[in-house]
Amino acid sequence: MAHPLPIENLVWQVGRQVRLRRAEHAGVRGAFWGAAVAALVLVFKGPLGALALGLAAGLVAAGTLAGVAWGLARRVGAGDAARVADRAFALDDRVATVLEWAERPDRTPLVDALVADTLARVRALEPRRIVARVLPREARWLPVPAVAGLLLLLSPPVPMPAGGLPDFLPSRGEEEREGRADSTLLEERTRPLAREPLKRAMLEERDFAQRAGASGAASAGDLAAIFKDTSLSGRRPDFNSFLKKGDERLKLLERVDRLPDLQSDFTSTAYKMVFRKSKALTSGLRPDQISPQKLRELLEEMERLGRKGGSWSGEAAEGMEALEGGQTDRALEAMQRALDKMRAMDEAQRSGKGLRGGRERDRGARGRDRGRGEGVGPEDQDFGDFDGLLPGRGRSPTPKGEATSRLRSTPYDAGVEGESRRGRKDGYDTNLTGRGSPMGSRLQYLGVIGQYRKLMEDAITREQIPREYHDQIKGYFQALDER
Amino acid sequence: MSQEERAQAFVGAFQALRAEVEKVIVGHGEIITHVLTGMFAGGHVLLEGVPGLGKTLLIKTLAEGLELSFSRIQFTPDLMPADIVGTNIIVEDADGRKHFQFQHGPIFAHILLADEINRATPKTQSALLEGMQEGSVTVGGASRPLPAPFFVLATQNPIEMEGTYPLPEAQLDRFLFKLRVRYPALEELNAIIDRTTRSRQVAVHRVMSGPTVLGFRELIREVPIASHVRDLASAIVMATHPQWELAPDVSRRFVRYGASPRGAQALVLGAKVRALAEGRYNVSADDIKALAAPALRHRIILNFEGEAEGVDTDTLIAQIVERVEATSAERKEPFLR
Repeated sequence: MAHPLPIENLVWQVGRQVRLRRAEHAGVRGAFWGAAVAALVLVFKGPLGALALGLAAGLVAAGTLAGVAWGLARRVGAGDAARVADRAFALDDRVATVLEWAERPDRTPLVDALVADTLARVRALEPRRIVARVLPREARWLPVPAVAGLLLLLSPPVPMPAGGLPDFLPSRGEEEREGRADSTLLEERTRPLAREPLKRAMLEERDFAQRAGASGAASAGDLAAIFKDTSLSGRRPDFNSFLKKGDERLKLLERVDRLPDLQSDFTSTAYKMVFRKSKALTSGLRPDQISPQKLRELLEEMERLGRKGGSWSGEAAEGMEALEGGQTDRALEAMQRALDKMRAMDEAQRSGKGLRGGRERDRGARGRDRGRGEGVGPEDQDFGDFDGLLPGRGRSPTPKGEATSRLRSTPYDAGVEGESRRGRKDGYDTNLTGRGSPMGSRLQYLGVIGQYRKLMEDAITREQIPREYHDQIKGYFQALDER
Repeated sequence: MSQEERAQAFVGAFQALRAEVEKVIVGHGEIITHVLTGMFAGGHVLLEGVPGLGKTLLIKTLAEGLELSFSRIQFTPDLMPADIVGTNIIVEDADGRKHFQFQHGPIFAHILLADEINRATPKTQSALLEGMQEGSVTVGGASRPLPAPFFVLATQNPIEMEGTYPLPEAQLDRFLFKLRVRYPALEELNAIIDRTTRSRQVAVHRVMSGPTVLGFRELIREVPIASHVRDLASAIVMATHPQWELAPDVSRRFVRYGASPRGAQALVLGAKVRALAEGRYNVSADDIKALAAPALRHRIILNFEGEAEGVDTDTLIAQIVERVEATSAERKEPFLR
């Protein structure tokens, strides 16, 4: 069964409308690009003359025509046109289905009913434009090349720069002089510049005194005449003496350590700065590959920082001595020790509510001695009267909580019970309860915990423990203290 | 009778059956249409909704409007497969000889109402699988055909999770449509009260027989569908698959598994019924879009992100359909969109 004529007509008309709209669309695009090229051509109106106008007009026309031709020439598929018609006339895909199914061999009897129904609906349609006009993006910008072209057309020709390279051949200049000998006017205008022999650049020490003259007599053109009546006119600047005396600012510049390092982060500590420098110095290098000069600078820096209030000046000085003796290994070890001390101090400063209490911190030198590991023992532990560390002291006068009843009732559970002990130094004796109680362990809890806390602090200071774990470890010991 | 006359007869029968059901059921017009669509497409329908919305009444009324046998199974946790399909029992004849005789289960009916299907164990639920797909059940090694047309209408309650067994995906896929029964509007609720609290009962007339239904099922399969409409259905189903290269972002983000080919079949068959019921002899893109949600909502499995964000499958499908249409339009030049 062939497609009914009205349906084919509808599809053809829609296809024609699509082609026309497409031609409009492409024509505007072509006009834009043609006008753009035409404007460019009109820039060369001077050299091209009247030809430019014709060329520009031709380009605009050619662009437009090419676009229109392309839009008209492209075919519109019948299926596409049918779908456009279905949508535009609210035919619920009837036309597209008829076009597809009317000639199929496997068409069902219901297709005949569909064709008849669609035919009736198409006949009832009133022809109208259903394809909307779509303007390209170029349409908005079309006035730009058009106006530019018009302005170029009306304005005088754009002056073109004279082409050609200068002639460096000497004979050419003579030929020109000969050729133009009869025209003095031309000669005047085009007289070549007097060629002076190029002087070699020389460094000359200028003697201003000579120029000014010993007698002070001024000659024409002499700059010293300006200073004739001033004391400056006879003074000879002595840069050497200026440098010898030195300017205060220059002196300041010499003291590198006093200069603010604008590149550094002032929120970071001295330890971090030194640590970064040491890492930068030593990373990936063997001791014999390290620059002694840079190592010396770093040790000097550390020594200087140590003098300001640290305890690592000795190590830094030792490192410098070793470096003087050519012992880079020893210098590096000394630097590492000094770094460890810096880190310890940095840690202590940052953790204001650290494990060591305020009283301990107040002790100053003694605290530092303990930091070096001297005189540490259970008897030396003084836990102070600051809050939160000891049972029976400070804010918490009683031991916090009792051992749970479960610990007491279940013989298979092991636990630690404590009792406070009064005396010269308060203590907290612990007993093992549960199954392990016959072992009779009696350790002074506070003495033991003090030792372990000290070891913990040393470990945090010396070993490569990730920064994130520091607070966690300290929190654990803090919790033990509170208990 | 010409095909055109048959088509007109179908339109009339569809409207008449719908009118009979609407005598009893207030509102739920879309649900009734989709149930009838599922029946004429030859599929089974799952209705999901909270108790008291009239799901069971709708199905019972539909059965009353058809000259077809009807049985109802109330699914409970202790229901066994033999309670559904039947079993061989020993009987003694007049001569005193004993032999096995098959006792038909309630599945042997034209319309089966599986009430609260998710309350039975998966083993019992699966007893329906063969019947729904093949139209026959196998008992004691013998395959027994079910009466045609065979139409399962199942209900389930979405909010009660305790003591329920959510239907497995294979079982869900057997349902042509999954319909969500919403709460009625105020006017509908007033009409329900008026209609159900009177002494006079509404009589439902039988408007269609089994062979008529089968004849209409044949007719529906003859409805032509244009290739671009079929392509739209395929693209929608494919777009539910996050692995598809042209899948929209919503699918990639929220979907774990997309709809099966059964989903595409359901979409096209349902669209054919819808077209013919509206007196059209061809499937349109609107038919496909209208049936995307009921045909696909139970075939899409959300991923963890989708579950966690509480993505609604209907909204997801609507976005997928919108994206598919936009993508196909973007590929065409402006004049042909």
